[in-house]
Amino acid sequence: MARGISALETMPVSPYARLTRAILGVLAGAILIFLYLPIVFLILFSFEKSDSPGFPITGLTTHWYEAMLADSGIHTALLNSVEVALVTAFLATVIGTMAAFALVRGRTRFAGTGRLLFTLPIMIPGVLIGIGLLIFVRRALDLKLGLHTVVAGHLVFTTSFVVLIVAARLQGFDRRLEWAAADLGASSRQTLRYIVLPLIAPAIIAGALLSVTLSIDEFVITFFTIGPQLTLPLYIYTQIKFGVTPEVNALATVILVVTLSVFAIGSLVLSSGRRFRRREAG
Amino acid sequence: MDSILAESTPTSAIELRHVTKRYGDTVALDDVSMTIEPGEFFCLLGPSGCGKTTTLNLIGGFIPMSSGELRIEGRMVNDLPPHKRNVNTVFQNYALFPHMTVAQNIAFGLRMEKLPAAEITSRTGEYLELVGLAGFDKRLPSEMSGGQQQRVALARALAKRPAVLLLDEPLGALDLKLRKHMQTELSRIHRQVGTTFVFVTHDQEEALSMATRIAIMSGGNVMQTGTPREVYDHPAGRFVANFVGETNFIAGTVTMEDGRRVFAIPGRGRVAAPTGSTDGPATVMVRPEYVRLRPVDEPAADPGISGRIVNVAFLGDHTRLTVSTDAGDIVSVRPHATNVRSTHLEEDLGQEVCVWWPADDAALIAD
Repeated sequence: MARGISALETMPVSPYARLTRAILGVLAGAILIFLYLPIVFLILFSFEKSDSPGFPITGLTTHWYEAMLADSGIHTALLNSVEVALVTAFLATVIGTMAAFALVRGRTRFAGTGRLLFTLPIMIPGVLIGIGLLIFVRRALDLKLGLHTVVAGHLVFTTSFVVLIVAARLQGFDRRLEWAAADLGASSRQTLRYIVLPLIAPAIIAGALLSVTLSIDEFVITFFTIGPQLTLPLYIYTQIKFGVTPEVNALATVILVVTLSVFAIGSLVLSSGRRFRRREAG
Repeated sequence: MDSILAESTPTSAIELRHVTKRYGDTVALDDVSMTIEPGEFFCLLGPSGCGKTTTLNLIGGFIPMSSGELRIEGRMVNDLPPHKRNVNTVFQNYALFPHMTVAQNIAFGLRMEKLPAAEITSRTGEYLELVGLAGFDKRLPSEMSGGQQQRVALARALAKRPAVLLLDEPLGALDLKLRKHMQTELSRIHRQVGTTFVFVTHDQEEALSMATRIAIMSGGNVMQTGTPREVYDHPAGRFVANFVGETNFIAGTVTMEDGRRVFAIPGRGRVAAPTGSTDGPATVMVRPEYVRLRPVDEPAADPGISGRIVNVAFLGDHTRLTVSTDAGDIVSVRPHATNVRSTHLEEDLGQEVCVWWPADDAALIAD
C-alpha cells in the first residue's frame, strides 16, 4: 500500500526548492568530508614510506604494519586492552541483563528511578568517573591501581548501555509467549531457557559487542584508573608525545577496522532479532 | 435419557463453583458457577469486559481466582500452575514462538513432557495433518498467513492431547471469509478429536454456528446457558435477547378485548397476545424475521400496528425494513426468496403498512 510517495512530489513546491535542495546537498557532503577526511588521512599515512608522514606522499609500504606487529610494547598494550575489554564485556552483560530484567519485569515502584540511575552514567563525563574512582579506590579502599580498576571504571558506563539495549528488547517482549510456554508444560526455568533467552539473545550479544568496542578505545577513565600498565589508547598517547610515527597510524587503522567490524556484527545480530519481532506483529 | 447420561459421565470436564475474581475494587467475575461436560464445544459469549476472557484465563491458570472452586476432570486445580493443568490454550494472537519452526512449535509441549523423540515426531506430523498443514513443518511462523498461524497454534495445543482446549477469540484477527472457513474447520476438528472445547468470543454468529452450548455473560455474571437454539428462541431476558441476534422490544399493555387477550401499544395498535399472558403492562420481544407486513387496507381479524416504512435495506439474501410506528421503530427482515420472484411484492420507502406477527412467535419478557 505504501508506495513510497515522497512529500516533495505531492506538495506544491516553492520555486527555490530546487536551489535550496542543491545547497543543502553540498553542505551535507562537506560535513561528511569533515567527519571522515581525518580518518582517511590516518589510513593513508599508515602506508606512507617516509617516517614523518605528510604531503607529498613519497611512496606506499606495509613496513609500518610489520614494525607494529614486531613491537613488544604494542603486544603488551594489546593484550591488556583485550583482557580489560573481555572481562568488562562479560561482567557488563551479566550485570546489565540482570538489571534489565529487574527494571522491566520487577514489580517495583522504583523501576523508573532505577532505570534512570542505571543509565545515567552514560551522561556523566568520563573525567568525573575517572577521578571519582581514583579517589575512591586509593583513599577510601586503599587498593592498588591496575587493570582491575580499569575494568571497574569501564563497567560504570558499559553496564548502562547493556541495560538500555536489553531493557528495550524486554519491553517489546510479548508476555503471552511465556503464557504459551507455561501452558504447554514448561516450568518458569524452561520458559526462560527455551523462549525468553533465545528471543532476547540478539540484544544481549549486541550489548556485549558494544561493551567490547567501548572498552577497547576508552581513554579518559583508563587514564585515571590504570596502574603502571598501558592499554592501546594509552600506548598511542605515550607514543605521540614523541611525534606521530606511521607505526601509530598503522595501529590506529587496525583498531578502527576491528572496532567497525565488531560494530557491524553487532548490528547484524540485532537486525536478525528484529525479524522475529515483525513476526509477532504479523 | 438425562439420568442415564449423567451416570455414564460422572465427572464434568470443567466445573466452576461460586468463582469470583476481583481486580482491586472491580469485580471481573461475580460468583460464577458453570459446568462443562466432556466433548462439548462450549462457548463463552459476551461483550468486552463481561468476564469471558477472565474465565478462560482462570481455567488456564494464568491468573489466580479470588474465591471459589475450579475443578478440571473432577480434580481441584485452584492452586495448580498452568503447566500442571491438563488444559491447553490457543491464544488470541496465537503466541507462536517466532524463533522456532512450525514443527518445533508443535513439538515444544511434547518435549516439555519428555516424550521419546520418535513419539514427538510422529505426533507432530499427525497434528500437522489434522489441521491441514502437512509439509509446512520447516516454515517459520513469520512465513505463514494469519489463518495458517492459527492452525499451527491449534495443532500445538491439541498435540498435548489435553482434557480441555481453551480458545481465546482465535478467529478475531482473521478476515470475514477466512473466519467463516475456520469456523467450519474448527467444528470438523472438534468432531474429529472429541476433546472438550471452551471457546471465547464476542461474535454471536460465531457462537451460534459452532457451539453445542453457549453461556452468555455480562458484567461478570452468566446471564443464560443453553444450546444455540435455546438462547436464540428463548432468551432469558432483555440482555440475551438483544445480544444474541436482533430483537424488537415493544412496550404496551395486555388487556382482554372481545373475549381474548390482546397486546395493545399506546395509540391504536393491537396484536394478539402470546399464549399465557396476564393482564397488565408488558414488553414484548419479537425477532425481525417473525415480523410481517401487510397492506393497511387488507382485512384481518388481528388489527395489527400501523406504521410507515422509513428505511429499506437490500442485503442480497434478505431485505431489512424499518417501520416507524406509535410504539417506535420496528424492524422486519424478509428472505429474498419470498420477495420479488414469488409474490412480486416489493415495499417502498414511505409506504403505509400494517405490522403484525403470529401471537406465539413473540414472547413477553420481564424487565
